[in-house]
Amino acid sequence: MKILIVEDEAKTGDYLKQGLSEAGFTADLVRNGLDGMHEGLSGGHDLLILDVNLPGLDGWQVLKALRAAGRELPVLFLTARDQVEDRVKGLELGADDYLVKPFAFSELLARVRTLLRRGRVREAETLALADLELDVLKRRATRAGKRIDLTAKEFALLELFLRRPGEVLSRSFIASQVWDMNFDSDTNVVEVAIRRLRAKIDDDFTPKLIHTLRGMGYVMEIR
Amino acid sequence: MGHWRHSITLRLSLAFALLATLVFAALGAYLSRSADAHMAELDAHELLGKLALARHVGSNEPTPDALAARLGDALIGEHGVLVAVDGEKGAIFKWPDSSLASQLAAAAGATGPVGETPVRLTLAGRDYRVVAGNLQTGWGETARVVVGRDIRHHTDFLDQLQRDFWLALLAAALLTVVIGILIARHGMHPVRAIAQTAGQISAGQLAARIPEADVPPELAELVTAFNAMLGRLEESFQRLSDFSADLAHELRTPIHTLRMQTEVSLAKPRSDDEYRDLLASNLEEYERLSRMIADMLFLAKAENGLIVPQRETIPLLALGRQLFDYYGILADSQQLVLEGEELSVRGDRLMLQRAIGNLLLNAIQHTPAEGRVALSVREHDGAAVITVSNSGPAIPEAALRTIFERFIRADPSGEGSGLGLAIAKSIVIAHGGSIAASSSGQLTEFAVTLPLAAPQTGAG
Repeated sequence: MKILIVEDEAKTGDYLKQGLSEAGFTADLVRNGLDGMHEGLSGGHDLLILDVNLPGLDGWQVLKALRAAGRELPVLFLTARDQVEDRVKGLELGADDYLVKPFAFSELLARVRTLLRRGRVREAETLALADLELDVLKRRATRAGKRIDLTAKEFALLELFLRRPGEVLSRSFIASQVWDMNFDSDTNVVEVAIRRLRAKIDDDFTPKLIHTLRGMGYVMEIR
Repeated sequence: MGHWRHSITLRLSLAFALLATLVFAALGAYLSRSADAHMAELDAHELLGKLALARHVGSNEPTPDALAARLGDALIGEHGVLVAVDGEKGAIFKWPDSSLASQLAAAAGATGPVGETPVRLTLAGRDYRVVAGNLQTGWGETARVVVGRDIRHHTDFLDQLQRDFWLALLAAALLTVVIGILIARHGMHPVRAIAQTAGQISAGQLAARIPEADVPPELAELVTAFNAMLGRLEESFQRLSDFSADLAHELRTPIHTLRMQTEVSLAKPRSDDEYRDLLASNLEEYERLSRMIADMLFLAKAENGLIVPQRETIPLLALGRQLFDYYGILADSQQLVLEGEELSVRGDRLMLQRAIGNLLLNAIQHTPAEGRVALSVREHDGAAVITVSNSGPAIPEAALRTIFERFIRADPSGEGSGLGLAIAKSIVIAHGGSIAASSSGQLTEFAVTLPLAAPQTGAG
């Protein structure tokens, strides 16, 4: 998966590139709008991460030029200003998603994966990791063959993890995906919910599947 | 020319001068006309007197010569009077004995019928008033008597009067301008005093006010308005500096923590795990910091009326249910109750979620174990009232007053940014609603009132 990053802020750009590379993507970084437009038109990338404030050609113009040329790759734009007009403008111009700076890198990764996955893979109806199995249609979860009773939200939370094995999920991403709570609040609701889920699917079993990454979020994987 | 157009002093004094000139001119014209009329009346009286004299003296004389002699005697000592008596066969008498009297008679004859109403004539460069009448002579003839009066001394007097008057008028107008300037300056003195006070007020002295007691009533309104403006300025300035102070204070603690732990960690080599721990701990602080900054920005925008909610129809009970799903996880042994009727408001889903969510979180956090938290939706006076209440010790009156202010925490060392209720309030206000807190006995209650959405019609 090739990702093009257009970001003029040196440090941000470098770390975005490093982070995405380490997450297994091929990341190209350009630092101004003109290069961004050329690369976007010719580079065969699967996704574009576009900063709005760029010297010369700004992000909106780059986006317009790409869409006008018929490049339909998903675009995630980054903005420093949390203005409704900005968001609306970006989405109207054909961007697929946006993030307001400062954002958590895990959040960015989650969005990138969602955009890349969109319309590509039919969602599986049964999910499994190690001996944990989830039947999405029948709403049934089992571990080591034992039936586990989950509330609706616990089920949604587990499904989210199982659909993204190995991905770090931030607390705000989890809150937004499972509870549709789309603002950052200073609570430990997600922590408590994860603790309860662990009690049901991890505490009495090995290997442990849900892991905490301090300061970043949670990941489900076999370690 | 701007200065000229706008100087009140100059405008006032010119207005005074114009007014004075108009009044004086009208008065002068009136006086001059009445003097003129008075003179004319005197002249008429004298002319008619002379005509009567001529008739009286002349009517009994037997011959033209006798008549002339009698009239001549009667007119001795008269200056500036012309008398001509003409018979059928020519001039009978002239006074004074010169061609002037005949010319006057001819002129009077030429101007048409002259009778006993005085007529003005100009003869040899002089003005005359003239009357005429008939005289029955002793010898049976009807003679014509023309009497003229030289009115030069009268016109001279009137001309002189007018010249003097216009000079006086000019002087009076100039004097009025000068006095007007002085009066206007004096009148403007309180305005200058106000300007001086206003000029001395800087950002640091917004507490200064213009004393309203010393101000004339005409300016009282201005001063009151000005003082009120100062009051508002002072208030928002205070808010702004409170905001900066609060922000600095709140940012200092996490930054201090970050600095300390980073410094200590760097002081000697450590294991990877320890470094990982440090970075993770730093990350948590960064997250708190950026959340706080985002919240502060939100509040700053709200205070300046820059929060514009997207409007969609939001069913409140459904919103409450969603919030219960989320925050309910935090309630261990507390009982959560959702009650009331389904009502809808027009509002921004994200913001209302946040506002009511903050209230709910606050309630859950302050409810003791086995306590009760309730969210109810009811209609009251055509508005939707969302009440979030919880059992637990009452909040003291004084704390209740400042509960919606920034960085006010029930427990000073407690968790949370201390911005939740402030944000809830600003969101409610941005939606045209109101919020109130009350606490008594064992119940604390936050009530949010929002305008109801207009009932859906048609498509339904």
